[in-house]
Amino acid sequence: MVKAAHNIASGRLSASWARVARCLLLCTWFSTGTVGPASAHPHVWVTIKSELVYAPDGSITAIRHAWAFDDMFSVYATQGIEHKTNGVFTREELASLADTNVTSLKEYDYFNYARIDGKRRKDVFGDPTDYWLDYKDSVLTLHFTLPLKAPVRAQSLEVDVYDPEFFIDFAFADDESPVTMTNAPLQCALTTVRPNDVPAAAMSQRLNKSFQPPSEAFAGMGSRFANKILVKCP
Amino acid sequence: MLVVASLVVIAGGLVCVLSDAAVAQGAFGVGRPTRAPQPADGVLGWLLAQQASYYRSFAGMIRAAKADGMAVYGLLGLSFTYGILHAAGPGHGKAVISSYLIANGETWRRGVVLSFASAFLQALAAVVMVGIAAAMLGATAATMGSAVRAIEIASYLMIIAVGARLCWAKGRGLLAELQRLKSAPAHQHGHDPAHATATLHADACCANRHHDHHHASHAHQHGPGEACDHSHGPEPQDLAGPGGWKRGIAAILAVGLRPCSGAILVLVFALAQGLFWVGVASTFVMGIGTAVTVAAIATLAVGAGSVARKLATSRNGVGVLALLGIEVAASILIVAFGLLLLTGYMANERLFGG
Repeated sequence: MVKAAHNIASGRLSASWARVARCLLLCTWFSTGTVGPASAHPHVWVTIKSELVYAPDGSITAIRHAWAFDDMFSVYATQGIEHKTNGVFTREELASLADTNVTSLKEYDYFNYARIDGKRRKDVFGDPTDYWLDYKDSVLTLHFTLPLKAPVRAQSLEVDVYDPEFFIDFAFADDESPVTMTNAPLQCALTTVRPNDVPAAAMSQRLNKSFQPPSEAFAGMGSRFANKILVKCP
Repeated sequence: MLVVASLVVIAGGLVCVLSDAAVAQGAFGVGRPTRAPQPADGVLGWLLAQQASYYRSFAGMIRAAKADGMAVYGLLGLSFTYGILHAAGPGHGKAVISSYLIANGETWRRGVVLSFASAFLQALAAVVMVGIAAAMLGATAATMGSAVRAIEIASYLMIIAVGARLCWAKGRGLLAELQRLKSAPAHQHGHDPAHATATLHADACCANRHHDHHHASHAHQHGPGEACDHSHGPEPQDLAGPGGWKRGIAAILAVGLRPCSGAILVLVFALAQGLFWVGVASTFVMGIGTAVTVAAIATLAVGAGSVARKLATSRNGVGVLALLGIEVAASILIVAFGLLLLTGYMANERLFGG
């Protein structure tokens, strides 16, 4: 009798716990769906073309980026900007927009994240030196040179271009060489890795841990939407 | 046991909000997270990928509508689907509305109406914004961006206000119920002089009217009258009581005032193509899709709420306490959402750089 009563009581109890758990689940879903990183979908798409600029001594001094926006954002961004000819925006007419772009990009580290010899480094880049916008075939493109505060000579340099929050979808241009090097030492090798690509070399290192720890350049670089620029110099 | 359970709900809700916030905070200048956040996987990841691809095809479809009127139907169909998916993914709207419904013990009908009203307002806000700022005044994207930010701050403040008001009303009810449970025997002796402070009177007014009729006769003395309007007694049947539309309107405004960037982009793009009305139609259809999802989620939330209410009815006393606990937790969540949004810890939407 006592046992039966106990069973009933515990049955009720677990039922109420189940309800509470359901409520908790609901709360969790609300908040994670709302707050979690990368829980938004991008509204802006950027196609990247980049040029790595080297000094005669073989150190890298700057990256020249050309970021082309998708057509919806190109139209949006140029909305209300005065221009003389219909459908044509000159560099001068877009100058103040370029200013705004570059100024507000500072807060996001220009979406450029560097690793030098495997170490993640902040404050590698200075403020853009020359920048402008052009508008061709309804496509707005932001050109800017991102100088390195101090020229860098490294065996391994990695620059990731992406928005960690994924409000902006960055992607290398669909060319054969979306990234080029200018005046780089001959023995330096350039690799680009698109989001979702995992290079075979990195994969085999990961699978075969006894061989050696995964290369620092890939370990923890995690973001699958990162566009990686890798330069190896012996 | 139920008290503990409701505390778990409160703590759990806060922990999940705050821990996620800690991860997200980096992007706003407080220092980036040391590990790169992973993109969403599973259902959420799929949802986001779908939305992104739908969203990308808007531009092409609006262009096509220029040449071929039939393309508009395709665009509207896409807008509806996009709206449904969009609301299922991120967005504070559903969270605030659901928390609000749970905290207020609302009916599912009111939930559906709230969802549709706030989605409609949100679409209207985008149309009015672009219609006036861009189409009539020729404002730039930067100007519209600052206007959206101003609206955003106002709407986040309203969310905090709505949550705080609920929290105040429900929290008082909870405290009063605790008080009642503690001093239950005292009530048999009528008016306890030890309780004769203004606060306790006010609490008792809202929480104890069924237990202490003596207090009811002094209703006019019991602090601000509105506290009573919003915090009826802990008796379950009172919690779902007929609410005026006034308090619902505050929630609708708080959630729907801020136009979403996606709609603004579509509208500006359509405007540039000389097809503003296509953008307007797309925006409203998107709103209907959003409302469908939010209403479904709200109904779910209301269902969970009424289960809790039944539970509370079956065990008077502690059950009521647990119910009040859940409602207080839900209202705290609303305040938390508002604060996180306001301080930028919880990112909502962002266009390039700005």
